Amino acid sequence: MLSSMAAAGSVKAALQVTEVLEAIVSCCVGPEGRQVLCTKPTGEVLLSRNGGRLLEALHLEHPIARMIVDCVSSHLKKTGDGAKTFIIYLCHLLRGLHAITEREKDSLMCENIQTYGRHWKNCCRWKFISQALLTFQTQVLDGIMDQYLSRHFLSIFSSAKERTLCRSSLELLLEAYFCGRVGRNNHKFISQLMCDYFFKCMTCKSGIDVFELVDDCFVELNVGVTGLPVSDSRIIAGLVLQKDFSMYCPADGDIRMVIVTETIQPLFSASGSEFILNSEAQFQTSQFWIIEKTKAIMKHLRSQNVKLLLSSVRQPDLVIYYAGVNGISVVECLSSEEMSLIQRIIGLSPFVPPPAFSQCEISNTALVKFCKPLVLRSRRYVHLGLISTCTFIPHCIVLCGPVQGLIEQHEDALHGAFKMLRQLFRDLDLNYVIQANDQNDTASLFICKNSGESYQVPDAGNGSIQKPYPDTVVENKDELEKTQTYLKAYSNLSISDVELETNIPYSTPKLTPADTFQTDEMLRCLSLGKNRLIGDYEALLKSSSTAYSTRGNSRIEICYENLQVTNITGKGGLLPVSCKLQNMGTSPSYLSSSVPAGCVLPVGGNFEILLHYYLLNYAKKCHQSEETMVSMIIANALLGIPKVLYKSKTGKDSFPHMYIRAVHALQTNQPIVSSQTGLESVTGKCHLLTSVLQCLTKILTIDLVITVKRHPQKVHSQDSEDEL
Amino acid sequence: MSRLDAKKPSLCKSEPLTSERVRITLSVLKRIVTSCYGPSGRLKQLHNGSGGYVCTTSQSSALLGHLSVTHPILKILTTSVQNHVSSFSDCGLFTAILCCNLIENVQRLGLTPTTVIRLNKHLLSLCISYLKSETCGCRIPVDFSSTQILLCLVRSILTSKPACTLTRAETEHVSALILRAFLLTIPENAEGHIILGKSLIVPLKGQRVIDSTVLPGILIEMSEVQLMRLLPIKKSTALKVALFCTTLSGDISDTGEGTVVLSYGVSLENAVLDQLLNLGRRLVSDHVDLVLCQKVIHPSLKQFLNMHRVIAIDRIGVTLMEPLTKMTGTQPIGSLGSISSNSYGNVKDVCTAKFGSKHFVHLIPNEATICSLLLCNRNDTAWDELKLTCQTALHVLQLTLKEPWTLLGGGCTETHLAAYIRHKTHNNPESILKDDECTQTELQLIAEAFCSALESVVGSLEHDGGEILTDMKYGHLWSVQADSPCLVNWPDLLSQCGCGLYNSQEELSWSFLRSTRHPFVPQTCLSHEAVGSVSNLTLDCLTAKLSGLQVAVETANLILDLSYVIEDKN
Repeated sequence: MLSSMAAAGSVKAALQVTEVLEAIVSCCVGPEGRQVLCTKPTGEVLLSRNGGRLLEALHLEHPIARMIVDCVSSHLKKTGDGAKTFIIYLCHLLRGLHAITEREKDSLMCENIQTYGRHWKNCCRWKFISQALLTFQTQVLDGIMDQYLSRHFLSIFSSAKERTLCRSSLELLLEAYFCGRVGRNNHKFISQLMCDYFFKCMTCKSGIDVFELVDDCFVELNVGVTGLPVSDSRIIAGLVLQKDFSMYCPADGDIRMVIVTETIQPLFSASGSEFILNSEAQFQTSQFWIIEKTKAIMKHLRSQNVKLLLSSVRQPDLVIYYAGVNGISVVECLSSEEMSLIQRIIGLSPFVPPPAFSQCEISNTALVKFCKPLVLRSRRYVHLGLISTCTFIPHCIVLCGPVQGLIEQHEDALHGAFKMLRQLFRDLDLNYVIQANDQNDTASLFICKNSGESYQVPDAGNGSIQKPYPDTVVENKDELEKTQTYLKAYSNLSISDVELETNIPYSTPKLTPADTFQTDEMLRCLSLGKNRLIGDYEALLKSSSTAYSTRGNSRIEICYENLQVTNITGKGGLLPVSCKLQNMGTSPSYLSSSVPAGCVLPVGGNFEILLHYYLLNYAKKCHQSEETMVSMIIANALLGIPKVLYKSKTGKDSFPHMYIRAVHALQTNQPIVSSQTGLESVTGKCHLLTSVLQCLTKILTIDLVITVKRHPQKVHSQDSEDEL
Repeated sequence: MSRLDAKKPSLCKSEPLTSERVRITLSVLKRIVTSCYGPSGRLKQLHNGSGGYVCTTSQSSALLGHLSVTHPILKILTTSVQNHVSSFSDCGLFTAILCCNLIENVQRLGLTPTTVIRLNKHLLSLCISYLKSETCGCRIPVDFSSTQILLCLVRSILTSKPACTLTRAETEHVSALILRAFLLTIPENAEGHIILGKSLIVPLKGQRVIDSTVLPGILIEMSEVQLMRLLPIKKSTALKVALFCTTLSGDISDTGEGTVVLSYGVSLENAVLDQLLNLGRRLVSDHVDLVLCQKVIHPSLKQFLNMHRVIAIDRIGVTLMEPLTKMTGTQPIGSLGSISSNSYGNVKDVCTAKFGSKHFVHLIPNEATICSLLLCNRNDTAWDELKLTCQTALHVLQLTLKEPWTLLGGGCTETHLAAYIRHKTHNNPESILKDDECTQTELQLIAEAFCSALESVVGSLEHDGGEILTDMKYGHLWSVQADSPCLVNWPDLLSQCGCGLYNSQEELSWSFLRSTRHPFVPQTCLSHEAVGSVSNLTLDCLTAKLSGLQVAVETANLILDLSYVIEDKN
């Protein structure tokens, strides 16, 4: 009975589900991705390339699918990006695991165990693997990120201390982001719009708080207008409220405004009280009093130069009338979100009408640059020129499009971009464990950590290029000697020119003109100073910029652009991370460090290939078989993304060629040259990988899925206690 | 309990455009819209099969508004056309047909969506920049000192809507009325920022179209009995007006959130009525001549006002409030208590009028930008169509005031543009391709698809089996009757081009629009003499056409880019 309703929760089932999802999302990934049209139950249509939206729109029934969608949406809530990549990673991870079981099944078959027994045995194995995954994710992954990957990171900031952002690097970041989010004929325009918006809203002192504000209040900061071409979208200075004036009086000069949260007209009877009327005259007097009171308040406001009244509630006709008589414009029924946005921008508290006739000064008013109606496609809006008291300079985005569905897509993408930036501007903490009882291991880790510096030595001797590096604090003095020795060993191993020459033709079997040129440049670059470090781009920049002037090849142009950004980071030089050794001795040492805010990598699967490469290296060094297996699986799954991205490319741009080039570049310590421009956030990628691994462990720990006939009900903790 | 049900899974389809069903529905929609296009377009009758309202139309706004489209792809198409129409009023059918044509033509080619979209975008920007450039050969500047071009524009709009069922004389009459109504909304002494007034369309069904007229000011409809009670005012100066937005019915306004306890014998109604009569006394002492109220006036107050020779009109409704405020210069009064003296406005005169079977009070302004267009037509459906057309024409005139250019109509702009694009892509493909990854062959293919999409839009102007030709000098459109003999001298058969600018007496050579031609340079830069000499041109609104073109190409690109359709089945 139970078996008919229960299905074994197996990797195979999960794989089947994710493969279907992968087929759908992979058509929208990357610059070549296409649109998906969703209909809502109300009949509206929505265009989307947003993975999260698509997964939700599918209304999946399969229990494992539902679990995956839940994991994706909780990841999106945090980061606002990466839903499609999530599915692709997960699919490849499951594929890797499945392949292992298939291999082992053959050996199991011989043992001739009962079917159920085998299932339970499998489950034990899955549990074991999931624990290994979890350990790997919590203890090892961050270490690899910190110790190997971090030296490849670039920074989006032109100056690390002040976190200033230059337009060109932000453009590269946003263009790459919108490539995957909006239709391909609009992504350039939308990313320019976002860029403009960003720089118009920011002051020099603006920091992460601006992203928080924009992210929280994004709905209020944009206006959608249907029926106009997308190219009519623009940015408007000031705040646009999506309602009309209840009363509009043209005003200029010194305009002050107040915010109210209750009706200005006094109530006839307050709530909870009883008003006893003894005569008609009494009623008339109280009505008269109300009118006179309202009149007086409005007159008083006028005398204080208040010409604009924003109200969160509907004001009676009487108030509107006296506002008009006194030349005060009124906007009513503001939503609580709009009210909080206005209060955040100008830091103004609501005005409460004084209980008695008093001619006191009204303290809580704010100056407004202008207040006028704005007509967008025959609909009227309220346009306010607020004077900001925080670091955010209010601006609104007017989004145009032929249909609402498209506007919603653009709005969604812009909002996501702000979420992404908000994340990018934060440091990401990394925590990991080093098994210190194995002395050799630790040593090698530290050496790798310091290898950036060890490369530095010949350069400093040269004196040609100065690269300030923040001092890496290593409290373990004992290790220093070993570092020194390693350095010697390494310099002995330094690549000779002969080696290079033999290696390069191997990596590029077909030598096209552009390729030969590139390798030439690299050779020249390397022969200048025998062992230049990876991060030293300045020489390459110089040489490639001269090349740019001589040959107008588009490929070189791309290369040049990429290097420009790297150059910016070179000056900032924040890449290596301060690292504290908290616990020393023979027990496992816990290290904590962080990916600094603003770390980026070039797009086109760079992050994945780098991590893949270092995970494979790590796997070779591992002693435990479980750890090796896990890191191999993760490493191979990471290649899923670049495979999808390079799917449509042929010839020397195809994935295998690109992969060989990249790995070779890593082995010989050369920079990886990407064929695509654009940057992506490292923090987002790290979060994504963590979320995927957590989702996978969740899937693996389930052994049985039981279907229940009852309606799904939420379990209330209190009720269940009562029943017990 | 149904709310607790788990949601049904959605239906997900890949590559929606390749499915036969989508193709069929698209072609059905295309046939519907093409058959409506132009002055000789066929009418569509829309009804729901169980009686009731029947709509006879050939306009996109009425047509698409009544059609219920279920397929999501068609929904995208129709909503984007509807959104275009609601912001520009004109060129809805053009947009719909062009979009359908583009999708159909491009699909036949089998190129990748990326290439198609990129090249379509290039071609679109080529069109836009040409139509906006000084050298454009199909653009005419609007001369506001004479009515000639504006009249042509309005007439072209009226003739392109056959469901209005207007005769030639009626068309002339209505065009003149529309233009007058528009001119009345322009303030006389405007400096800098102009705020246009409003023309209110007053329905008068069952009358002859020739009886339509335009009056300055506002007409308020009233029953004959009410009208008889109004006493004529004899006053040489302007009349003082009070306009109330609050109710004067004597209802007790809200008494707050608490409880009100009444002692025995206390009547709040009396108290409020007293208050109203006080207000009446105040109005009389302020020498108000006319009291207008958006809502209801208490009969006692009404009588009191009448006794003091004050005209009281109530139940005006919210739609007339804004024009009334604007015309009389009043501040709508929301108080039963004191009234500020500058809240009053004025009108020049009030009189009664009878049009057909309806009685009106006519408020005549001193100087204002509000006018009433009394519109007559024989029956309901024809009137509805005429009203829509008038609104379109008024809107187009406003758009033309903002951007004082018009385009040649009658299909000449489209053929001219197609000739220009063909020539450009043929002779100078490098300037379009620049740094793109597309090849010249791809460009030629897409340009051909684009141009033939434009040309088949104007091809659908012909519904009676006639032929459409284009000349090889101006790239204009010429049409031939269906039963004309073959192989005769073309200039004898053809009289004028589509827009009426050129006649066949010039030395021109023609070719069928469907046949392939060598790319040629259509003559750019219109001469002013040529335009001035022709009195009857067919013209199109530039702003609406530009936006229509953009929306059509953008929507086609959007639809071509779809890889999946996810339908929510809940």
